[in-house]
Amino acid sequence: MSCLLRLDGVHFDYQGHRVLRQTSFDLEEGSCSALIGLNGAGKTTLLRIAAGVLRPASGSVSLNGRPMEAIPLKEVARTIALVPQQLELGFEFTVQQVVEQGRTPFIGMLRGPGRSDRIAVDRALDLADVSSLRHRVFNELSGGERQRVKIALGLAQQPRLLLLDEPTQNLDIGRQVELIDLLHFLRAEGITILASMHDLHLVDKNFSTVLLLSPGQPLASGSPEQMLKPSILERAFQCPPDRHPLLIERAELYRREAR
Amino acid sequence: MAIEIATVSNTSPASSQDGSPAGVRTREKGRLSSLALIVLLTVALGVVTLASLATGAVSISPRTIFAAMLGYQPLTEMQRLILFHLRLPRVLASGLVGSGLALSGLLFQGLFRNPIADPYVIGSSGGAIFGACIGISFFSQWSVFGFSATALLAFAGSAATMALVYSLARSAGKTNVVTLLLAGFAISTMFTNSSYFFELFDKTGTGNRILLSWLHGVIGIPAWTELGVSAVLLALATVASLPLMRTLNTLALGDEYAQQLGIRVELARVSIILIGSLLTAVAVALGGMISFAGLIVPHVARLLLGPDHVRLLPVTALAGAMFLMLADTLARTIFAPSEVPVGILMAFIGGPFFLYLLRKMKRSYTV
Repeated sequence: MSCLLRLDGVHFDYQGHRVLRQTSFDLEEGSCSALIGLNGAGKTTLLRIAAGVLRPASGSVSLNGRPMEAIPLKEVARTIALVPQQLELGFEFTVQQVVEQGRTPFIGMLRGPGRSDRIAVDRALDLADVSSLRHRVFNELSGGERQRVKIALGLAQQPRLLLLDEPTQNLDIGRQVELIDLLHFLRAEGITILASMHDLHLVDKNFSTVLLLSPGQPLASGSPEQMLKPSILERAFQCPPDRHPLLIERAELYRREAR
Repeated sequence: MAIEIATVSNTSPASSQDGSPAGVRTREKGRLSSLALIVLLTVALGVVTLASLATGAVSISPRTIFAAMLGYQPLTEMQRLILFHLRLPRVLASGLVGSGLALSGLLFQGLFRNPIADPYVIGSSGGAIFGACIGISFFSQWSVFGFSATALLAFAGSAATMALVYSLARSAGKTNVVTLLLAGFAISTMFTNSSYFFELFDKTGTGNRILLSWLHGVIGIPAWTELGVSAVLLALATVASLPLMRTLNTLALGDEYAQQLGIRVELARVSIILIGSLLTAVAVALGGMISFAGLIVPHVARLLLGPDHVRLLPVTALAGAMFLMLADTLARTIFAPSEVPVGILMAFIGGPFFLYLLRKMKRSYTV
């Protein structure tokens, strides 16, 4: 299999704080990878760099063997779609109008959407199961509905690489299962997937590769069996067993002060 | 590891299978088709133009105007003078001002992702007045490619103000409404008030009179050449903004998302600011500071057609022209034989509307 996206020695600083250091990985075409790590480890930053919306401070990002910065924005947008955690619209656009924006990289400035664009939008609405919401106002949807619309927006781009930032957030368990089914379906269609995930149960059975981000550590990667071990996870997620008594002691201290 | 369970919000029933359960707003039914609205507005604009031409201190009935147009009955010398030298230039000027303000309002609202942006509120008109004052006071004899220095400086003032307000109001890819309003208010106040200083340099007194009518928003009786140049500029700016309408729709998703969808955000922003400023400058050169027209018209158009900018553009241009023609006709007849500056009339209509909008928005547009 060929390498679709490659990050090589990527550094990124945010407000003087190093978020990513020496981050390197290859995404094989057709793979389905989960990005895990504790809050603030840099998962969102990594996805934004992979999507080409952020430039790394140093290191290189290449898409299909070409440096990302040398590829026109529209071409990147026809290859990669990033489904973000948050999406807030300025006006009362309907779901259909929002998903139609996914066709932006395929539409010229003056030409309106054509037949292929309408088919792609319908298919995206259908796959993300939001066809019934198409005339609803996006800003008035619930968190779970918005999440599905965001995924439809990403699918309307017909990307070869789909990046998802915590796609299961706000989804009830039934919708989570649907999402995982959708990821399996997309993978079967040949779409490469990289999703940041919090729920490690879902990662275990459904992803081919796990990328683990820990603060101050280089990115580690391997199969779910290799990566999802208690020893690795406890260290990466900074949850040592002696933390709990410390909290109790601190709470006791506050209680005494309050008296 | 806990599984997150989605909280179903009260406004969105879980069972939305039929697409539009009771109580949930949908946006397809009840919306006018934009073509129907364009046809309706074009007819209405014709009627309003005719009515505006007929109305005034000397009443000339629409039938007389029609008969003259069709060649049945020529106008008297007096009627001809009134129509072609007084009313028609002014009615057309008010139409151009209205279109210019409404379109720049639409562009700025899209750029700021906020329905309260308008050339007056965000200080762009003030910047244009300031630029024009410098032109009148110091470079009144200069011209570049046939454009007076006054007009060019009005455009430069408007564009510079917009760029300043924009950079002040934006932080981390978002527009802060409070900063936007305060920056617009401060810059607008600063510029309009400093315009009074130009009186000091004015020896003849003509500049002073022009300045006063600008600050109050009086649509004068422009020369036909001035009208022609303004109409061409307005048409050019409208054509240039056509490809930006789709971009404005994408920008509504946020700058970063728009970039991710292949939009060159910086280029789009600069284009919007330049075109919006050109439209403001055209409007200011003909009518001075006219408040809130750029706010009301795009807003009402959005209520009728939804937020798609591609559909909004022609409707906003037509409705803006009609709206200001009506307002100006009202301004020159309501206290006849005296005239109220249309800018002052608009402040009375637009002010309460702006407050209503601000109250309605509450927190929904704070990002």
